[in-house]
Amino acid sequence: MKKRNILIGVAAAAVFGGIGIAAYAGNMQHETVLEFGMFAGSNWDVANANSFVIIDKAIELFEKEHPGVRIHYYSGVRKDDYSEWFSRKLLAGQEPDVFMVLGTDFNQFSSMGVMKDLEPLIERDASFDPEKYFDSAFRTGQYGGKQYALPYEVVPTLMFVNKSLLTKEGIAMPDENWTWDDLYEICQKVTKDVDGDGLLDQFGTYNYDWLDAVYTNGAEIFESDGSECYLAGDRVVEAVKFIGQIDDLYQGQNVTQEDFNAGDVAFMPLTFAEYRTYKTYPYRIKRYTGFQWDCITMPAGGQGENLSQVDTLLMGISTNTRHEELAWEFLKLLTYNEEIQMEIFRSSQGASVLKEVTQSEEMESIVQEDMEEGDTVISGELLGQVIETGRIKPQFKKYEQAMSLADSEVSSILENDKTVDSSLKILQRTINTYLQQ
Amino acid sequence: MNTKSMNGSKKQNMESEAADRRVAALQGAMLAVNFAMVSFICIFIYMTTERIRARYDAREFLDSVVTIPADPRMNLIICLSLMGMLVVTFAIRHFWTSLSNSWTVVTLLVDFIVCAAVIYQLDFNYNGLLLLAFANVIAYVRDGKIKLLFVILAVCGYLVADYNLLSIYMPLYRVVDYIRYYPANTQQYLSSINSIMASLNMILFIAYCIYVINRQRGTIEEVNQLYHELQTANEQLHEYADMSERMAQTRERNRLAREIHDTLGHTLTGIATGLDACLALMDISPEQTKKQLELLSKVSREGIKDIRRSVNELRPDSLERLSLEVAIRKMVTEMSQVSDVKIYFETDEKHLKFDEDEENAIYRVIQEGITNAVRHGKANRIWITLKKVDGEIILVIRDDGIGAKEIKSGFGTKHMKERIEMLRGTVTFDGSNGFTVTARIPIRWGETYD
Repeated sequence: MKKRNILIGVAAAAVFGGIGIAAYAGNMQHETVLEFGMFAGSNWDVANANSFVIIDKAIELFEKEHPGVRIHYYSGVRKDDYSEWFSRKLLAGQEPDVFMVLGTDFNQFSSMGVMKDLEPLIERDASFDPEKYFDSAFRTGQYGGKQYALPYEVVPTLMFVNKSLLTKEGIAMPDENWTWDDLYEICQKVTKDVDGDGLLDQFGTYNYDWLDAVYTNGAEIFESDGSECYLAGDRVVEAVKFIGQIDDLYQGQNVTQEDFNAGDVAFMPLTFAEYRTYKTYPYRIKRYTGFQWDCITMPAGGQGENLSQVDTLLMGISTNTRHEELAWEFLKLLTYNEEIQMEIFRSSQGASVLKEVTQSEEMESIVQEDMEEGDTVISGELLGQVIETGRIKPQFKKYEQAMSLADSEVSSILENDKTVDSSLKILQRTINTYLQQ
Repeated sequence: MNTKSMNGSKKQNMESEAADRRVAALQGAMLAVNFAMVSFICIFIYMTTERIRARYDAREFLDSVVTIPADPRMNLIICLSLMGMLVVTFAIRHFWTSLSNSWTVVTLLVDFIVCAAVIYQLDFNYNGLLLLAFANVIAYVRDGKIKLLFVILAVCGYLVADYNLLSIYMPLYRVVDYIRYYPANTQQYLSSINSIMASLNMILFIAYCIYVINRQRGTIEEVNQLYHELQTANEQLHEYADMSERMAQTRERNRLAREIHDTLGHTLTGIATGLDACLALMDISPEQTKKQLELLSKVSREGIKDIRRSVNELRPDSLERLSLEVAIRKMVTEMSQVSDVKIYFETDEKHLKFDEDEENAIYRVIQEGITNAVRHGKANRIWITLKKVDGEIILVIRDDGIGAKEIKSGFGTKHMKERIEMLRGTVTFDGSNGFTVTARIPIRWGETYD
């Protein structure tokens, strides 16, 4: 009887062992393939013909350094389709090892545990120093106090200034430490009915909204973990009221993109990506051709500084990756390698997430190459400062929904001239209820 | 009587086989329900995932879930293979009747691990599998400690493997989220399948437990009845023993009476008749009378010899054949051998030769003392000394047992006391340090008859 037991045990072990070896051998036959998930085009909604250039270069470098490893990516997924494409891959358990994450997906994916917690990898890697990243960009990849993604490309918001209009009105270009009062004063001066048809046809701002004002007034809208919102805080109230004051100057008229394109608006918030796109060939001849323009920092509120929002394109690793070390190496190559990061200035429209790269002279000369002579390049130092001090979106799961709710309500408050203080108190209560659900 | 009991046990065997089959059927049903439940969850999640992908609802769906399984197809394959292993261990236990106990425990352990793996794979959405593992333990494990271990394992597992508890600490996918993807009426349909199967598993488990517990209670009652019968038989045996003892006593009395009649009666009758003749002859012929008296003296001496012989026959076996010292040593050796107690016997007398009743008493007291030390004192060592001091025999029996705080009669001490007092001796007992019996017997420098 015992003999039979042993025999059967051995047979079972042999079968399982065989399956294991077969599975292992099956894996060994192929070269290691690292899947990379990316979308074509720019994350910043500007035309981008060179979206694969940087990635291709990185892949070439990586494959040279790691023989036997091939990196595969799907080309042709547009940014608009990327979220759905990635979600479908995720559902089937076929997500790429390393992938780009959209800002609107990052919180959801992190909370689901599909993004690898990078902290153990960071701790193990002695050559990796998070200090090299812009602090704001690095923190964008954190969720619930853990690092789930690394920044790849960063774009701060700047203030577009129509220099021709200011010159025409005899107003000096504001310096980088300008304030709300300066902005309001200029708006007052430029907002007028030029052709005398009884309607205003020259305005101070376009698209300058309450959030831009909130950021520059040192206010926080949400607690960082999303447990509470502070919409009724006095800094927020001040900011909303300030936007209300500017709106009042326009006597209920809507300022449009056409007004801006025609050169009739003095200021517009503009991302660094848009700045670069429309300052360089071929797009500079398509837009904003009738006037001279430049970018400066956002005006500071009474209780704040010249800050602006910073958007970051993140990249992460799948929790289920079978090639953790390779994935980490590749992620590091894309986000931490100075050579690849410099490529962002050559082939993309954003800025590098590495301080040394963005603040280098090489960056200034690369950006200068594409610009018209005489156009000043934003200095690396100023750009770096704007990025470093920039405000990032809080990372919690309900942020997107809570923010869109707040945004539409505040717009309605401004449009309908509601009492700002009490309306914001009600809104704060509503959003807190949603957050605490 | 023999054939009757054989028939009974055959019937019992058949009954227990039928009961085993019912237990097996319930276990099989539970396994089937669990298999169906796990398959349902895995297949449902896999099919829903495919449906979501086909309809390009993926991103929107993700917004409504906590998280998703890493790979639904792999999940399905892994879970079904693991459930297959449960079927295999079930089959091994049922069809491999000669499976040894330790192998059964191994299969149960495998079951536990497999169940835990499936529950983990299903992100704790269904922990009813633990009931299945638990049911097997109830049926197969007889050893109290192992059973307790398994029960603790199962209970802890059932408590810890709770979705609501664990989802606080880590993102876990929910079947409910996948059900919610469907239109409302389909949702109801799916939810009811889910809950009906979970309830069915629970009901089967409860039914199974009740059945097994009832069966075990039946066994306990059976054991109680057997025990009762055994006790009755025991009592009967006691009665038989008493009766045979009484019969032996009667036999012994009859023998005694016969001996007395045969020897003493015969001799005394002869002497009485001879004395009558002497009375008649005395005046006529003193010479004849003297002769007659000499004859009578001879007859009476013969009688004494006869009585001594018959008394000898009544003495204990050893004493009858051996000297006192040899008899005691023999007894000591025998007792040591049978009771695992070390007994040391010591005497400074070279010739232990006393009267028969004295020897008897000494022998019996020693016997009794050893018996007491072993039975009541739980002694490991016993020391016996026997010496003569100032015309007295001093017998000390000391042991290293538990002793006794109070000396109660009936601890075998009463007989000893009686025996010694019959010889005008004294006996003292001391239970403070082990147990010590000290007997003093005055020696009669006995009348010798020759």
